[in-house]
Amino acid sequence: MPGVILVVTTYVLLVVFLVGFVARTVRLARLPVHLRWELAPIPHEKGKGHYGGSYLEELDWWTKPREKSLVAELRYMLLEIVFLKAVFEHNRRLWWFSFPFHFGLYVLVAVAAVVLLAAAGAAVGWGAAAPAVRAGVTGAAGLGYALGAIGALGLLVKRALEPGLRDFTSPAARFNLVLLLTVFGTGIGAVATADYATSLPGYLGAVLTANLAVTVPPIVAAHVLVTCVFLAYLPFTTMMHFVAKYFTYHEVRWNDEPMMPGSRMEKEVERLLAQPVTWAGPHLHADGKKNWVDIATEEVGK
Amino acid sequence: MSGSVRVKDISKRPDEVLSPVSLQDLVPLPPPYDRLEDQPQWKEISDAARAGLVCNLDGVIATNLPQPKNEAEEREYVDRFVEGLRKLFQKENNWTFLEPLTLSLEYCVKCQTCNDACPVFVGSGGNDIYRPTYRSEVWRRLVKKYVTPGGKLLSRFTEGEIDLNWTAITRLYELCYRCTLCRRCAQACPIGIDNGLITHELRKLFSQELGWAPRELHEKGTVLQLAVGSSTGMNPEVVKDNIEFIDEDTTEETGMPVHSPWDKEGADVLLIHNAGEILAWPENPAAFAIILNAAGVDWTLASDEVGYDGVNYGLFYDDMQLARIALRHVQAAKKLKVRKIVMGECGHQHKAMMTIADRILTGDMHVHRESCLPLLEDIVFSGKIKFDPTKNDFPVTLHDPCNITRNLGIVEPQRRILRYLCPQFREMTPHGVDNYCCGGGSGFAVMSGNNFADWRVSVGGRIKFKQILDAFADQPGPEVKKYLCAPCSNCKGQFRDMLQYYGALEKSGITYGGLVELIVNAMVDVKEPFIKWEMH
Repeated sequence: MPGVILVVTTYVLLVVFLVGFVARTVRLARLPVHLRWELAPIPHEKGKGHYGGSYLEELDWWTKPREKSLVAELRYMLLEIVFLKAVFEHNRRLWWFSFPFHFGLYVLVAVAAVVLLAAAGAAVGWGAAAPAVRAGVTGAAGLGYALGAIGALGLLVKRALEPGLRDFTSPAARFNLVLLLTVFGTGIGAVATADYATSLPGYLGAVLTANLAVTVPPIVAAHVLVTCVFLAYLPFTTMMHFVAKYFTYHEVRWNDEPMMPGSRMEKEVERLLAQPVTWAGPHLHADGKKNWVDIATEEVGK
Repeated sequence: MSGSVRVKDISKRPDEVLSPVSLQDLVPLPPPYDRLEDQPQWKEISDAARAGLVCNLDGVIATNLPQPKNEAEEREYVDRFVEGLRKLFQKENNWTFLEPLTLSLEYCVKCQTCNDACPVFVGSGGNDIYRPTYRSEVWRRLVKKYVTPGGKLLSRFTEGEIDLNWTAITRLYELCYRCTLCRRCAQACPIGIDNGLITHELRKLFSQELGWAPRELHEKGTVLQLAVGSSTGMNPEVVKDNIEFIDEDTTEETGMPVHSPWDKEGADVLLIHNAGEILAWPENPAAFAIILNAAGVDWTLASDEVGYDGVNYGLFYDDMQLARIALRHVQAAKKLKVRKIVMGECGHQHKAMMTIADRILTGDMHVHRESCLPLLEDIVFSGKIKFDPTKNDFPVTLHDPCNITRNLGIVEPQRRILRYLCPQFREMTPHGVDNYCCGGGSGFAVMSGNNFADWRVSVGGRIKFKQILDAFADQPGPEVKKYLCAPCSNCKGQFRDMLQYYGALEKSGITYGGLVELIVNAMVDVKEPFIKWEMH
């Protein structure tokens, strides 16, 4: 594939990824404050989080200082994100594939960061990375692709064979796994047959410096292309759950912030309560003009 | 059974029961409850009910939804359902839960990790429609196909097949009342998807848009409570009479003067009971009165309508009804100028008032609210009351109400009391925030029409019953009296039905009650045993 087409395609797909990623994340971040819906255990509850306790265990809790443990929260997140603790505890049979799949992806993200750094370094004249670094990158990438491929293949098979999973697996979910399997497969090909630790930073350097004349081995080109297609597609799928997870944990499960008089949250809620309601249930007497406060405070049932 | 019912089947074959409950499939119980032939037969659904009500989900009727009069009515309800789906995602109509709902719509990867955390699914022996993910997936596919732009074109690829019709929405409505909203599934989810929330929101859609809700929760629940003051039907005069009677009766039985103050302006504590206690378990408000008076707490009850009944079934199905009742509770407290409201032994009251309603109590509606459990712990360890734990020297185990532990994180105060006052206290496995629901959660405990009571006891509460038996496995016979401590009215309602259903008092010596009864039973000044070893 001519370098110009590959580089321009990379630009287009990365822009789609960035715009989609930012748009979807911002959309989640801008959702309005909601009623409390916390769920124990909340790890940041200092001295209590380990057994699921909360500040509501305290007599006159509103008179006591709120003590939070960031360390406990980080520990919980680390175990959950890196080792998929919940899947390990509740769905062990799936974990044997889900863990390598995700861990492989984490390794590849780390490899991508190093490769990008190497490419940027080369572009500003730092010279090529040391052989040991190149060997390390190649080895780590090979491990990441292999783990990812084993995981993706296992998940595909499990989703096809297990009755409880099969009916809940949409064509899109199968497609996602196949696409990722292609990413891992071409990656393995690139590691096995091309000088991965040189050609990939070289290509990324060309992308950074807009060098349209760059040439890369076909297998690396294929890997770059399919990876960029995956990235461009990612923001429009459930695979964005790695971003959603921040909100489900920090904004819902662990959001135990009480309403305090005079707070910013109070002003925001008062604004939301002033919105007109159009639910049609006959007991609500909503006419599209009455707001939440009108409906909640009206005399009913007399 | 697993995998035999598919998600898209929800809208198909309206004349058949989608996935019948089979007693043979249920998780086995230990002896002497292991023989199916010894267990009570389920109540037969009458021919009239079968003909007139929707009954094609699992052969159980919880909601008493009438069959449609004609096709036009069917179509009208289907259209209104779609409109309700839309409103769930509108900020003005559902800001209350828009963020968690959006997250649960868009990011579930359908890994089924939550399935085995659900006591209903597990207890049923793996009935597909009781998977926490089944109703969520039906809802998700309907939203994607009928509400999301381009959904009719794309949803078959992104989500999977589904059709919308009367059969689908009515089965889905009934299915919303097979989940107790215990949120154990949400705890297990690696991403934080909440199938309990989805059930909650679906119930809201049916109530707030279609006007459908179980009679026990709506007409006989929130509507009655707002009209006369209590879902029990007690108006202020009746409730005061009943408390006076309880005080007199308890004074006579215990030899301790018992008096419950009413409408004491400026009191430190406004205690709000679940009014069901006053009628079904009068020893509970009596025990509270004994403890608070003995400890010298400045407390009161409120006789304003709604102010004496902490029940708030709006929590289970309708945001507006929830808000209306919560505001009435706060108004009662404001009128009496009390320092704080204390929740009695009622789990859903705790959740409704302490967290769910918290963020709508703005401006001058703000009032301090806390659980009775830290207050009781403070009293027990204050030295103000003398205790003799040997009076409680019998096996005791603790049921953790989901709304108090998993949802509020109140875990240890009740345990510290039990460890101190009950020498033979033992935990269930699992317990605390990992507990199993009693099977009566989310309003089920007060729903008993048709064959639903049989379902909630033998399917919904099956895993819990097994847990209780396991906790007392070292002394299984009826000769040793055992106490199941359940500091929640709705849980007690479920346990009353469950223990009676299995004859557990006669066969295993198990009875149940609240926490305050155990505290009073251990008081040195209470000469006669306060706990009666009988089914009540």
